[in-house]
Amino acid sequence: MSSPEPIPPPNDRRSSRASSNASLAVPTLDNTREPVELLVVGGPPSTPSPLALRASNSPSSNRRKSRIAKLPPDVHLLEYLSACDSNLICLICHSPFDKPVQLACEHFFCRECLDHAWDAQHDAQKTCPTCRGRVDTTREPLPVPKIIATMLDELVVKCPNTKSGCDWIEQRVNVHDHVLLYCEYTLVDCPDFDCHLYITQKDFHKGCLHYTEHQRTTCPNRSTACPHCSVELLRLELNAHVKDICPKVIVPCPGTLVGCTVAVERADLAGHAKGCSMAIMAPYFRDQQARIERSEARLEPLSRKVGILEDGLSKITNMLYPPNANDSSFPVTNPLDPNSDAFTTAPLVPTPDFRLPPASFPPVPPSHDTSQTPLTNPTPPPFDSQIHHLLTLHGSLRDEVSRIANALTDYEGRTNMMIINENQRVKDEMLHTNAAINGMRMQLHWLVSATLQQRTGSTNSTGNSTSRAGGSTDSNASGTQGTNSNLGSRSAGASATLHLPLRRLSDSTRQNTKL
Amino acid sequence: MALSKRIIKETQRLAEDAVPGISAVPHDDNLRYFDVTIDGPSQSPYEGGVFKAELFLPDDYPMTPPKIRFLTRIYHPNIDRLGRICLDVLKSNWSPALQIRTILLSIQALLGAPNPDDPLANDVAQAWKQDEQAAIATAREWTEKHAKP
Ligand SMILES: [Zn+2]
Ligand SMILES: [Zn+2]
Ligand SMILES: [Zn+2]
Ligand SMILES: [Zn+2]
Ligand SMILES: [Zn+2]
Ligand SMILES: [Zn+2]
Repeated sequence: MSSPEPIPPPNDRRSSRASSNASLAVPTLDNTREPVELLVVGGPPSTPSPLALRASNSPSSNRRKSRIAKLPPDVHLLEYLSACDSNLICLICHSPFDKPVQLACEHFFCRECLDHAWDAQHDAQKTCPTCRGRVDTTREPLPVPKIIATMLDELVVKCPNTKSGCDWIEQRVNVHDHVLLYCEYTLVDCPDFDCHLYITQKDFHKGCLHYTEHQRTTCPNRSTACPHCSVELLRLELNAHVKDICPKVIVPCPGTLVGCTVAVERADLAGHAKGCSMAIMAPYFRDQQARIERSEARLEPLSRKVGILEDGLSKITNMLYPPNANDSSFPVTNPLDPNSDAFTTAPLVPTPDFRLPPASFPPVPPSHDTSQTPLTNPTPPPFDSQIHHLLTLHGSLRDEVSRIANALTDYEGRTNMMIINENQRVKDEMLHTNAAINGMRMQLHWLVSATLQQRTGSTNSTGNSTSRAGGSTDSNASGTQGTNSNLGSRSAGASATLHLPLRRLSDSTRQNTKL
Repeated sequence: MALSKRIIKETQRLAEDAVPGISAVPHDDNLRYFDVTIDGPSQSPYEGGVFKAELFLPDDYPMTPPKIRFLTRIYHPNIDRLGRICLDVLKSNWSPALQIRTILLSIQALLGAPNPDDPLANDVAQAWKQDEQAAIATAREWTEKHAKP
């Protein structure tokens, strides 16, 4: 049987058992534990058991007040299903042992019975109740062999609440838990705070039945007469009688709902209702009303859902097109502040960049602010058209920009092509010009040398041929130089080609003079 | 209470499994109060007599011995004029392991074996010591006179 005695920590228990095995010094004689055990088993009902005290200290005790009154079952009062082996019977209480102990003379007793028997004896003179052998209280009592405890645990008992109706029959070891935790017939404190009686666990949730019971059966003033119909009845039931049954009470016509003002005694009501059209219509109206209420009830979650969806939509819109508060071209107002300047200035803000048609961008009152509370917006169309307008505007602008970009790249390509073509042509022209100049120089050279030959006569023909060869190489070099040079140096090159032959001329003349 | 359960059990057993020559019946209105009869043991001056006694179980029985007193007058060195009995198990030698049945058997045994050395009724003990035969005759005479049904 699990007793609610304080459980020592495991180390403590092991050491105490070890010492009892070694020195036979038994810790169960410890006097501090006696009162606890005495309270647990067989204490008078007024004595709070340790378990009850623990329960009353627990935080849940306020709610589960039922635990407080519970008392652990008294093992001595248990009813055993079959006769118990006489060797398991305590000689003092004549019941099967409860928490037995053993003396050195091998006589067994319930711990409680032995303590009780020893109450009158002095410590030094304690004797075995059976054999009167002297007991050494420093060593005894001893623990009993395990098999004794097991045999006792396995005794089959009936629930102590059998008389109240519990049919639980099981091993004795389980009776403590059954009574304290599971038995529906265990007495607990009445849930009514002012009632000091007990009630079975299974009726705990019904509240205090004692007063009702008293009112029904024992109270000398329990019956009374109805003030309306003089019928004798229980005072307890008077209210219900007047409310629903009494034939003399004045009740309104059921047609009150529709407007009938007649009120008659309940007994006469049926007669009136038969002729009263409003009473006939009343059920129909009541039905209608119920249906309306049902619809309204259904409507409420729907409107809440719509609100949530609108909220979500506005959040998405905000995320995609965050309102730019610094952009004066876009009116942003604080909808929570009706006196805000934006209320008056916003509609006046010009929006020339967007070239908004005035119809699609009406003045925006604060509540129409798209960025803040579209939910409270009573007229959504302006909001829609504005956003749409901006969106389309944005799209068309984007198209425009891309078109312009395309045109630009196109134009750039064409320009490049044109420049290249022009270059080519200029180069060709220059080549032609160079060739022409060369031809002219050759001619000039030939003419000059011809005239020089004519002037000098037949003098120094070898020198003449030398200068002629030098002149031809010079003209070749200047021709290649001319094709490589830029367009801008055309005139300079021309002057140089004109000048070079002159220098050659002077050179040759100098040569000639030197020669 | 646990210990009154023992009283109930003892009472049941006394009724179901009676000891020959001894009876103990509780009063209906007080289950701790018993009407007791003890037959005089054979081969004793009390043979043939039926001695009435009253037995009362105190509140703390079995931790204290039952109180028992002869109602029938008896000539015995250990029983006084008021019917009080001098028996060690009823006083200092009481043990909670004893019970009504064993106590009554002890008393019956006391009738069979008077002990004048530990007297309660001094005059009877005196007579018993001085002339045992005469005392036994007186005892038999008293039995005849008071204890015959
Ligand atoms: Zn016991
Ligand atoms: Zn012993
Ligand atoms: Zn139960
Ligand atoms: Zn109550
Ligand atoms: Zn009435
Ligand atoms: Zn009506």
